[in-house]
Amino acid sequence: MPMASKRKTVSYTWRKWRGALGFGLTGVATLISLGALFSILGYLIHQGIGAINWNFIVREPAAVGEAGGGIAPSLLGTLILVAISMVVGMPLGIGVGIYLSEMAGDTRFANLARVAINTFIGVPSIIMGIFVYFILVKPTNTFSAVAGGLALGIIMIPIIARTTEDVLRLVPKSIREAGLAIGAPKWRVTFDLVLPAARAGVITGGILAVARVAGETAPLILTALGNEYYPTSLFKPIDEITLRILKYARGPYDVWHQQAYGAALILVFGVAIGSLLLRLSTRDRDALSR
Amino acid sequence: MEVRDTDILKSDQSAASVDQAYKLRVKDLNFYYGAFQALHGISINAEKNRVTAFIGPSGCGKSTFLRTLNRMHEETPGARVDGEVLLDGESIFDRDISELRRSVGMVFQRSTPFPKSIFENIAYGLRIRGVDRSSISDLVEQSLKRANLWEEVKHKLNKSASSLSGGQQQRLCIARALAVNPELLLLDEPCSALDPIGTSKIEDLLLEIKETCTILIVTHNMQQAARVSDYTGFFLSGKLIEFNDTKSMFETPSSKLTEDYITGRFG
Repeated sequence: MPMASKRKTVSYTWRKWRGALGFGLTGVATLISLGALFSILGYLIHQGIGAINWNFIVREPAAVGEAGGGIAPSLLGTLILVAISMVVGMPLGIGVGIYLSEMAGDTRFANLARVAINTFIGVPSIIMGIFVYFILVKPTNTFSAVAGGLALGIIMIPIIARTTEDVLRLVPKSIREAGLAIGAPKWRVTFDLVLPAARAGVITGGILAVARVAGETAPLILTALGNEYYPTSLFKPIDEITLRILKYARGPYDVWHQQAYGAALILVFGVAIGSLLLRLSTRDRDALSR
Repeated sequence: MEVRDTDILKSDQSAASVDQAYKLRVKDLNFYYGAFQALHGISINAEKNRVTAFIGPSGCGKSTFLRTLNRMHEETPGARVDGEVLLDGESIFDRDISELRRSVGMVFQRSTPFPKSIFENIAYGLRIRGVDRSSISDLVEQSLKRANLWEEVKHKLNKSASSLSGGQQQRLCIARALAVNPELLLLDEPCSALDPIGTSKIEDLLLEIKETCTILIVTHNMQQAARVSDYTGFFLSGKLIEFNDTKSMFETPSSKLTEDYITGRFG
């Protein structure tokens, strides 16, 4: 008997240790990851904060290698490109998500579409850039905002489609049945009841997609190209903040290097503040409807 | 077939007068989930302006039966029926599905308010129906009054429906179903999540609304069936074992299985 109880104690101690070890390892993993992220942020702030001032935000770039000047065309260009990408990506992505969740069921076609979407989420973004380069840039013989926005929009489609399908599936079946039971046709149930119930999730998916494309560089090199001046037309080359960072970081001048860090800092905070604001605004509306 | 025995149809009655007497006639209804047969040859006639209750143990097919009557089963992949279901003499399978569901209201086991305000929960069905904008708020008030909910919510119509208590939500769902003036109201264990007070309010309500529509209710609660219904059907393993007026059913059941069930020997 004493043997048995001793064995029990040993295994209990071992299990306790194993538990603690498990928690400890996940804690360490978290610390390492957060540490890496915060040191990137800290480094960015340290290197870039000096470049940021009012002129940096509202001016055009100065002449090559000279001090001063700003990245206003890149900021404006980024907003325009993201806007175009949303016009392309949101309706198509949400449409695909609704189709897969509400209409398609488990047909072979739908499952094929799901596989394709999951694949495209992982496809390197330069592929979309090459695609748009060959179907739009080359035929029209010009880089343009439209081409850049289109490439970013195509990148958004699978991301938004996937998140939309996922959050729509979380809406309880009972809401759909209740809507159908009062004689609402399926499309009205989808748009009046299911989509509003999943609104916060759909918006979060949209934010994720926007945040993702706002930081894209590769596809833009092949489509938007970049520009030193304010955009004057959607059918001409346009600048974007990551293109500006790329140009300045690779350049030979210290001023440029500092401005590259400054631009990177603005991009990081822009995405952070943007997603925070959208998240807060959707949370408020959810709280109200409760 | 015991079902045929209890069928009180007289053979010399003309089809037209039969249709007048019975709101709903179900003939030889079989229901399949894929290869599994969930209902076997159900035949039933439900009288107009009466409450017909269905009792039976869990999984006996009573909810499945109810869900075929507004064709809600068509939302379940792999579900299939054969047999006849006539509403006022016309097959429900020949009717436009949305239009059918406006004449056949349904209230579910768990209250299912839409993620909208109390007012909008009722108004939504009216808008779907294309009711004139100006009369919507009157109709909302009327429906809430019919569901005995108006006094409790009239000062907070714009509040979210999910702020209501479980019993209130269920009455809201009944009001929502009543708003579009259904001829037939299906209730699938409407009180199973409610306390005794909420339950008795709903039961009182059923007795009031049967003045204007025909009611079919599925319940686990035999006392409830005895209290509210005029006719009762007993389901077991997908078969309708007995169907009779409620009083006879509970006092002198003709089937041994029914007797065992209502005296609590199983189920």
